[in-house]
Amino acid sequence: MDERNLRRAAALRLLLAATVATISLAATAAEGPAAPDFALASTAGTNYRLSEYRGEVVALVFWASWCGDCRRELERFERLRRTYGSVGFTVLGVNLDPEPERAVAIAGAAGIGYPVLLDSGKDVSKNYRADDLPLIVLIDRHGAIRARHQALDEREERGLLVNLRDLIDE
Amino acid sequence: MRSAIVSFLAAIAMSMPALASDAAEPAAEPAAPRSALDSEVQSLRREVVDLNRDLFMLEEDLLFPASTQVAVFVSMDVGTFFALDSVQLKVDDKEVANYLYTAREQVALKRGGVHRLWLGNLKAGEHEVVAFFTGQGTHERDYKRGTTLKVEKGVGAKYVELRISDKVSKLQPEFVVRVWE
Repeated sequence: MDERNLRRAAALRLLLAATVATISLAATAAEGPAAPDFALASTAGTNYRLSEYRGEVVALVFWASWCGDCRRELERFERLRRTYGSVGFTVLGVNLDPEPERAVAIAGAAGIGYPVLLDSGKDVSKNYRADDLPLIVLIDRHGAIRARHQALDEREERGLLVNLRDLIDE
Repeated sequence: MRSAIVSFLAAIAMSMPALASDAAEPAAEPAAPRSALDSEVQSLRREVVDLNRDLFMLEEDLLFPASTQVAVFVSMDVGTFFALDSVQLKVDDKEVANYLYTAREQVALKRGGVHRLWLGNLKAGEHEVVAFFTGQGTHERDYKRGTTLKVEKGVGAKYVELRISDKVSKLQPEFVVRVWE
């Protein structure tokens, strides 16, 4: 057996091992792609890392001060947080403004009690493909993305609530 | 009776060479294949050993290139005079890590935890490792400090520790870089 064949065999073995590992991981994980982890500073100056909320249902609310529909979603998710916060539901706002001052002002006016994280570099929003705002990403207790919503009308809000309750009950 | 016995013994005596030749024949026949089998087993064994060595070397090359491996760790001793917010790490003027520490991670560091900030590969030779620490110092003042270390990368793996400790005499934090041998 020449060296090339040896290397090919070894690479195949590694590939096989990786495939088996991936398949077994996929089998154990919940359905949906894994939510990319990130760490961001909040308007309060505290740092937050998404992976620290594993075990909870997380809603990421991507928003910006110039987005008209965003404020309504910020307020909606504050209401949801108050209702479902005690059963393991966490809301993290992710603001895309280049300057944090306007985000602080709007979050304060909307009476938001959840952390507003500053993604002025837009690295996180790019990872989550937040091209249209607002964007709501629902993440299950295993850290998998289970639903994405844009601005919600009444019918879509009912769909979101169904999704959310299912995730909390899992 | 005697003749019967004699003829029986004669028959046995006559059959002995035949038996002996029968017994010898099967023994003689596999003599040649056995030596061939032995050499085959030997060559197979040699191939397995070679294959195992190649696999081992390939795995080492791919996964654990110790000759180029460098790891940088962050640790904290007490941390009364400094609340760590983030660490930016540059190697040879290139940013390789920028890590934000959450409240939980800060608590873990204060309890003696060690965080692996970066694991990468560097060629043998001299390299410059620069770390910038940001956080809050005493009286909640924003604090940014940099520390530099020249690392001589040899053949083996290199482990660098960035240690934040309290300098009680000056009521200031102290940032120490050291290389684990």
